[in-house]
Amino acid sequence: MKKKQIMVLLTASVMVFGMAACGGGSGDSSGGSSSGGDDSSSGEKQKITVCWRDDGTELEKNSYYMQMMAAYEAWDKKDEVELEFAPITADEGNYFTKVALQLADPGTCPDLVAEDTFQMPNDIAAGYLTNLDDYLADYADWNDGKYFESMQNMVTGPDGSVYGVPICTDTRGLFYNRSILEQAGVIAEGEDWAPKTWDDVLAACAAVKENCPDVVPFWCNSGVATGEATSMQTYEMLLYGTGERLITDDGKWIVKSEGIKDSLQFLSDIYTNGYGPSLSLVLNGQASNTSAGEYLPQGKLAISLDGNWITGKYGENGTNPWPEYTEDLAVAAMPTSEGQDPGTITLAGGWAYSIPENSDAKDITWEFIQFMMQPEYYQVYIMQAGNLCTRTDTAEDEEYLSRHLQGTFTEFLDTAEFRPQNDQYSTVSTCIQQMVEAVVSGTSPDDAMAQYATSVARAVGDDNVTEQ
Amino acid sequence: MANKSKVQKTGKMAVFVDDMKHSVLLLPAILLLLLFFIVPIVLTVYYSFTNMALTGSAAQNFQFVGIQNYISMFKDPTTLVSIKNTLIFLVGSLLGQSVIGFLVAYLMKEKAQAFRSVLGPCILAGWVMPEIVVSMCCLAFFDVSGTMNQILQALHIPGVDWIYGHPMLTIIIANVWHGAAFSMMNFQSALDNVSGDIEEAARVDGANRIQTLIRVVVPCIKDTIATNTMLNTLSTLGVFGLIWALTGGGPGTATTTLPIYMYNQGMKNFQLGQGTAIGMLLLLVGAVCSVIYTRVMKSEE
Amino acid sequence: MSEKAVKAIHYIILTIIGIIFILPLVWLVVASLDANANQALKWPEEWTFSNFTGVLTNPDDLRGFGIGLVISVVQSAIVVLVSGLAAYPLSRYRLSYKKGFMYGILFMTALPMIAVIVPVYKMFLNIGMLDSIPGVILYLSASSLPYGIWLMKNFMDGVPVELEEAAWVDGATTMQSIRKVVAPLMFPGICVVFIYTFSGSWGNFFIPYILLSSADKMPASVMLYQFFGQHGSVSYGPLAAFSVIYALPSILLYILSQSHMSQGFTMSGAAKG
Repeated sequence: MKKKQIMVLLTASVMVFGMAACGGGSGDSSGGSSSGGDDSSSGEKQKITVCWRDDGTELEKNSYYMQMMAAYEAWDKKDEVELEFAPITADEGNYFTKVALQLADPGTCPDLVAEDTFQMPNDIAAGYLTNLDDYLADYADWNDGKYFESMQNMVTGPDGSVYGVPICTDTRGLFYNRSILEQAGVIAEGEDWAPKTWDDVLAACAAVKENCPDVVPFWCNSGVATGEATSMQTYEMLLYGTGERLITDDGKWIVKSEGIKDSLQFLSDIYTNGYGPSLSLVLNGQASNTSAGEYLPQGKLAISLDGNWITGKYGENGTNPWPEYTEDLAVAAMPTSEGQDPGTITLAGGWAYSIPENSDAKDITWEFIQFMMQPEYYQVYIMQAGNLCTRTDTAEDEEYLSRHLQGTFTEFLDTAEFRPQNDQYSTVSTCIQQMVEAVVSGTSPDDAMAQYATSVARAVGDDNVTEQ
Repeated sequence: MANKSKVQKTGKMAVFVDDMKHSVLLLPAILLLLLFFIVPIVLTVYYSFTNMALTGSAAQNFQFVGIQNYISMFKDPTTLVSIKNTLIFLVGSLLGQSVIGFLVAYLMKEKAQAFRSVLGPCILAGWVMPEIVVSMCCLAFFDVSGTMNQILQALHIPGVDWIYGHPMLTIIIANVWHGAAFSMMNFQSALDNVSGDIEEAARVDGANRIQTLIRVVVPCIKDTIATNTMLNTLSTLGVFGLIWALTGGGPGTATTTLPIYMYNQGMKNFQLGQGTAIGMLLLLVGAVCSVIYTRVMKSEE
Repeated sequence: MSEKAVKAIHYIILTIIGIIFILPLVWLVVASLDANANQALKWPEEWTFSNFTGVLTNPDDLRGFGIGLVISVVQSAIVVLVSGLAAYPLSRYRLSYKKGFMYGILFMTALPMIAVIVPVYKMFLNIGMLDSIPGVILYLSASSLPYGIWLMKNFMDGVPVELEEAAWVDGATTMQSIRKVVAPLMFPGICVVFIYTFSGSWGNFFIPYILLSSADKMPASVMLYQFFGQHGSVSYGPLAAFSVIYALPSILLYILSQSHMSQGFTMSGAAKG
């Protein structure tokens, strides 16, 4: 009887695992609707798996996809290599978690990943990214000055090695809808808006609220769900405008200061006075798309603290065509808190193509990166993304230069600040997002700052924080 | 319960052999539980004493850091906030689910069959729905321009920003909607066993309806109340998806319960070690409830 | 107050509760049939099935439903099978460790398994089981197993051993008597365990969200979560249609087993499970 029991058990477990395996199989075999290559003869093809953040844009209008497909179609290795697109569907706050989860796992690691340069020091320290020095030694464009030096620095790790090919940079400012500000009496017709201090910005908001009650006066990324955009584009634009920085020169994170308090107070003023959008709009992962894609073009938003790339949405082929945007949309530099030197402030960041350490197709991926970064394909990307380019030759291209507001944003770049290149930054950044969301949802700036101090100390260690 | 073993042997060895022979059928269960239940719990204990991280230098080689994670956990005011939120969510959900569940079960007794067969499914619908659909429905229902506010407006009551203005209330309501049917069914089967005669007798003695309810009915089903409360406590403690999909723990930390806090520290802030320390706290709370629960069950046997 | 008035008040209270409970679902169904659905419940100006056909003709969506079904059905089957086998010795034999084992199981049913997700992720990473559907199934099975065993044991206690003895006299083995005698008699109990496991798993998006990473392995629950994070405010119609289809297996299963379910509930109530 014992024998029989064991037999039954074995049969049962075989059955169970068999079913489970079938389950896995069915998932695998029916995939492929998103893979770019020809599935039928994929037996010997090498595969490059590509990962970026799917922000809800349809695939055909996605800038990465457009660049890669344009390059792939013209690539002489097209028949040997298959591209598999595996974008991660997550809000910005969760994207980096998901990426880290994948980079750590040899089984699911992509071969090509779009990395935000702020995340790179962290991922380099974790050993997740491939050192590209050897590849770059033979990459003529890299060594012949076809890439801006500042952009090359952006992707250089603390060890002096390069871990990615920079694909874009960006700057930020106060976008405004010209006709609304005219109607609100903030500017005269044809005049440019040039706020000198934060108070000027608040005054403009008050005027809009008073005169155009149906319009949201001011929008900035304010939630955890908008992730790094909240840290960099909102908080750091403010903090750097007070003259302070996130970290001291000797590497200690500043967790308590007047600058932090002033920055939070500004945000608090925006929301308690009703200048901001309702929290249900601004605290979800789609907030960036709502403001730039809907509210601004539809004339429901007066001033938006946002990045230069949003203009990429408004062209004919953009995700949110706005024919009159060249007339209606203008940008003002973000002023410092009280107009102190240098008067205006902006932060610059950027993205890069990196090859994960766990990739099993490094050489061919590198070849593909090199191929698709040629000006003709790169331009497809930069025009669709609406971003600032990293290549010197593209920077002189006429179509690129003629883009609306291009000159202003490129000018911003001259005085732009960068985020700390520190492997703790991305963790501190999540603490910043939690602090900002706390303030906009009603926590007092003091309490939020105290919480920030605890969280940062927790993440980086008590020895690495300081008060000012 | 019969003992099937045909030969009665004595001695420890014999008992052991008997046990082993009879335990063969338990093997798959023990194996599964060991691999995917016990081992993760042991790992949780271990990891909670390390500085393991998702990215950064600690991702490559993590170290033993003693009780550092626990110290920083208790220094962090968010820990207190999330414990408080967990308790509010727990008590709110328990009250809501039990009261509504009992009310419906009690009032439904002796009502027309047709009415019962319409009302029952209405209550059950929220329970049958998968958790993620519950979140989605509630997200739309409590939206600023959602159905709830529409109703309020029709009644000339100004609308409310439910999800961002009263986030805790919203997730409690969502959880009550999802869970009340379970209590209702428990109470229904308990009330079926309360004989109408006792109630009748109390009535005759001059007790009014409420008095009968409190003095006669409630004592009769107090075991069910205890079990039901316990089961709801345990399931509510583990609620993650519902809150995560509805509010993400926000705005700020307004709906950050322990599971959400754990995820934020462990995954979003990349500090796996610290996340597991919070996981330990959660396990501890669960364990305490579990011991109470086990005791209650024991005493009833 | 007269008996009639009291009764009327009861009906009113019950009706109000019923309406409140069903309203979100009415919205769901109406929105799924509305060409221009939004957050609020309204009479559609244009009725349409296009939301449904859109979901049902989208290969990605169908794959998600398929994977979700595989995960939930296989998981529930494993739980029923394994806990059924485990329940037998616990119910029928005298085991020296039984008491301790049962309390251990009871204790485990109470632990919030969400707390160990980080170690589980790390463990799966180390043994190469990330992004594997069988991995998700095994983990989910283990986490619902204690409750399954507890219920099964109690149900099995309710099956009189005398019936089995007859089978033994006829020369049946243990497995045969489980299959032919015990299982049919405790069918309601098996249904309860199956449905309980299934519904817990079918709605669970978080475990697969963490443990899987390929988009083409995601079950419908994760797709639904991602979809409303991404398009929630713009496309309520398709979202509602997706949800309706997604909720159907739970509803169907419930209706099919309703009679067993209520029996099961009485049994589990009796067993305090």
